[in-house]
Amino acid sequence: MTRAHPAAPEDDPPTTPALSPTPLALARMFVGVALAGIGGGLPAHTRRALTSRGWMTDENFAETFTLAQLTPGPNAVNLAAMVGARLGGRTGAVASTLGVLTPGLIAMLAVSALTLGRPGGLPPALESALHGAACAALAVLLTAALPVVRVGWGVRGGPAVTVLAFLALGVWRLDLLPVLLVLVGAGLLIHRPRGGGRP
Amino acid sequence: MTGDPVDLWELLLAFARLGLISFGGTNVAEIERALVLQHGWIDARTLANGFALGQLMPGPNMLAVTHYGYAAAGLPGALAATLGFYGPTALLSAGAVLVWQRHSAQPWVVAFRNALLPFGGGVILAGALVLARTSVTSWPAALLAALAFGLLWRTRVNSALVVLGAAAVGAWLGL
Repeated sequence: MTRAHPAAPEDDPPTTPALSPTPLALARMFVGVALAGIGGGLPAHTRRALTSRGWMTDENFAETFTLAQLTPGPNAVNLAAMVGARLGGRTGAVASTLGVLTPGLIAMLAVSALTLGRPGGLPPALESALHGAACAALAVLLTAALPVVRVGWGVRGGPAVTVLAFLALGVWRLDLLPVLLVLVGAGLLIHRPRGGGRP
Repeated sequence: MTGDPVDLWELLLAFARLGLISFGGTNVAEIERALVLQHGWIDARTLANGFALGQLMPGPNMLAVTHYGYAAAGLPGALAATLGFYGPTALLSAGAVLVWQRHSAQPWVVAFRNALLPFGGGVILAGALVLARTSVTSWPAALLAALAFGLLWRTRVNSALVVLGAAAVGAWLGL
């Protein structure tokens, strides 16, 4: 995740490719990304869709992706909003977000109505199936977690922060906001820029 | 879940808060603390089921929030939860990318990233622990989770297939 130093002069307008996609085209692209991304891997699908259409360079995508990691919230949707904003301004951001959310939203509403709308709960077989699925979903979460943990582990003071955050939130069940303020504050102290930069 | 009607505005705000404080992926631990322990809108079983369903849906994995909103207050609840969880963070991201294009070389931005990454690792591990408490309730369940993890870690198989396969195994074993 090392960012190449941008060598572009600042007075240039943001580099837009020759063809700027319409909001509708962005929405359609992200519907496709969502449908391809069953079971995760949305960022990879987003990259492929963008570069194959020539709407974004790999370098621009990598920068946007890094930034999406830094903003709060669900990464894949933030990435869609950011790509949309870069390529199509405010309307582009809204269209992309709606596009990436809509297919799953419709599917989830249907499934929820089927599973939750039944009086007397679920049939035992379905309950068992969901239990099995939940075990695999835990495994999915772990496979997504390990790369994140590995990157954080490599940062100075990282292991201590990771372990403390895990204990505070998972074992002691403390409120997230104070834990975030204390631990991220400590991290900012450790990593504060040297040499000026005083506000 | 409960007999009391759920205040949709309160639901929307609760999910907006959850969206805005989930850094670097899924924050299951805090979602459980807020929805199950604090508000009592859903139970732990619904939390685990919704998370599993979210893995099967096209699009972002945390569409589980739609399921939780539905469980709490039907269709309006589902829409309020989805709008609350995804709307503010998407707006913030779109704004951030436009600001970023102007200030990307700021040293504090680098410091912020270094402070946030290890914290994100702890958050995601805490979420795994919370889910494991509800899902890994028996030796067969633990074995199934371990098998799924091995498959996902070692092969390039689509994770939705693994989740579906585990559902079939779960139904067959009567987990």
